[in-house]
Amino acid sequence: MQKFCLTQGLRTTMAAALIATAGTFGAGSVAVAKTINIMETGSTLLYPLFNLWVPVYHHIRSNVRINTQGTGSGTGIAEAISGVAQIGASDAYMSDMQVKQNPDILNIPLAISAQTINYNVPGLNNIHLKLNGPVLAGIYDGQIRDWNNPAIARLNPGVRLPAHTITPIHRTDGSGDTFIFSQYLSFSTPTWNDRVGYGTTISWPAVQGGLGAIGNPGMVQATSQTPYSIAYIGVSFTREVERAHLGTAMIENRAGQFLLPTPRTVEPAAQQLVAKTPRDERISLVFAPGKQSYPIINYEYAMVNARQADGATATALRDFLNWTVSLEGGNAPRFLKRVRFIALPPRISALSREQIAKIH
Amino acid sequence: MTLRPFRMVLLLATSLIPLALVAIFVFLAHYSWPAIRFNGLGFLGGHTWSLGNLYANPVERHGQQVPIGANYGILVFIVGTLSTSAIALAIAIPVSLGVAIFLAEGLNARLRPVLSFIVELLAAVPSVVYGLWGYSVLTPLIARDIGPALRGSLGRIIPFFGGSIGSGYGLLAASLVLALMVVPIIAATVRDGLARVPAETKEAAYALGATHFEVVRRAMLPMVRSNIIGACILGLGRALGETMAVLMVSGGALNYFPNNIYSPVTTMASFIVSQLDSALQDPTGMAVRSLAEIALILFIIAVITNMLARFLTGSSRHVSSL
Repeated sequence: MQKFCLTQGLRTTMAAALIATAGTFGAGSVAVAKTINIMETGSTLLYPLFNLWVPVYHHIRSNVRINTQGTGSGTGIAEAISGVAQIGASDAYMSDMQVKQNPDILNIPLAISAQTINYNVPGLNNIHLKLNGPVLAGIYDGQIRDWNNPAIARLNPGVRLPAHTITPIHRTDGSGDTFIFSQYLSFSTPTWNDRVGYGTTISWPAVQGGLGAIGNPGMVQATSQTPYSIAYIGVSFTREVERAHLGTAMIENRAGQFLLPTPRTVEPAAQQLVAKTPRDERISLVFAPGKQSYPIINYEYAMVNARQADGATATALRDFLNWTVSLEGGNAPRFLKRVRFIALPPRISALSREQIAKIH
Repeated sequence: MTLRPFRMVLLLATSLIPLALVAIFVFLAHYSWPAIRFNGLGFLGGHTWSLGNLYANPVERHGQQVPIGANYGILVFIVGTLSTSAIALAIAIPVSLGVAIFLAEGLNARLRPVLSFIVELLAAVPSVVYGLWGYSVLTPLIARDIGPALRGSLGRIIPFFGGSIGSGYGLLAASLVLALMVVPIIAATVRDGLARVPAETKEAAYALGATHFEVVRRAMLPMVRSNIIGACILGLGRALGETMAVLMVSGGALNYFPNNIYSPVTTMASFIVSQLDSALQDPTGMAVRSLAEIALILFIIAVITNMLARFLTGSSRHVSSL
């Protein structure tokens, strides 16, 4: 009798295990589906969004297991190329040379992100100081050393600016935020473009006291800890910025308007470049024309190898990526609002789908 | 004769260590060879590190494909590494000698093993834990309290302690964190040495009328001189190579030298780890190879300090055995 109980218990366990591995819980299906593992690594700006997506997607496709890692955009691109990761998340697109070397890697936009310029100037954090590209370039290359510099005062008439040295803070790690910030400086200020240029890490001009911080959380901490400092921070960290009581600057766009990043200023900026976005979708959205265009925005990319090891993985990747760019799926406001991203415009998500279809 | 297989196994095991050392050196030298040829001696003397424009097409310079504007100079990081380690040791050596003497002599026999164990435990704490502490506790403390206090006292006499304090991230924070990591290593090693000083030696000194302090100072410390030097070099090795903890508190200075003790700095080890991500984006691969060249230089510095230690302990052994 006891033996019988034991075997039956064992049998139930085995059956349960079988069902579990098949991953067909509520479906009531008997078909045995193989578990497919997908590895995502890269951008720390996209990382929170992937962590919102993955548990929800697991309910839709329980046989697809997606692991996420926030390691930095450079690592994302490198591991998508090497094949360690199936999805390499990046805030920056690949250079022409990288594309030439790795023609199979697709640059697929998943959403649109923006960046804020934040500062910690005691007494002025509750107002929005106005700044533009040449002034920011001056602060970051050491030409403008004090907050009461005439160049800053000219943009902010009537504001009592303190006679204090500015501490510019930059990212120490390779970062898509550095990429789009330095692009804004390059596109708006020719001297910056000639002398420094843009990239995920750049050779910051020597500014005595200039500070480096790691990751967006590090930027928030360093700025709040350093009076009279200024920093550039990804928009998905706005909640932390508000909690630290930092000031957010209004940034001058190409049309000479000073704007804050809101859906009302990010969407028009993206719209300006929808028509110009090429089929491989590698384009900068920084410093877009248009009166209402916030100047520092970018596509958030998934780097995916078009040639996958096996058909099942390719299918799972296509399904997942198609879900992420659809308005009913990953681009739904309930996900994007929490990280303050903006959904892809219809033409761009169509282009992304075209690229996703190439995965085989 | 019967021992031959045993000897063979021992020989194999022993030769693995120098082989690994040589293999690392050969790998680093081989991997960074294009960078060594491209950078030349300017690598050690230059103070500008720039990956160049990674989004433009590479150009050919000195027979190598490199991004436009690429320039690799690491003097800033060498200065950062050596200055943080030197200040860390300057703080750590007197403190850890005090700790070691207290543990060996100033404590009653029942508490001695407990406190010694705690000190050894401190040496086993992962460095990132010290880094996290430095990042969240020490840097605000330097910005608010330690910095102004130092500037108000030492800063009046020595200009290096004066000037702008900034954010708390920098040379002082990195050195303090390193000092904290190094103290248990030196203290534990020196304490072991002091504990092994023969009772006869101490008794002889007491018999001559020496006070407790004189016994420690005149009889015991000279006997453990080689221990102290060895322990300091061990600590220096840890300070030179420390990566994460320094990265978290050093402030990541680029292209400029520290002008006071509060200035942000960057060390070679932490620079390698913070730049690898970006360097991987260089399609010519020169950036990664230049990072490997930094590793090679760091390796050489570590070997030199170790050989120096050998030399120092070797020459002092004669003195202490007399």
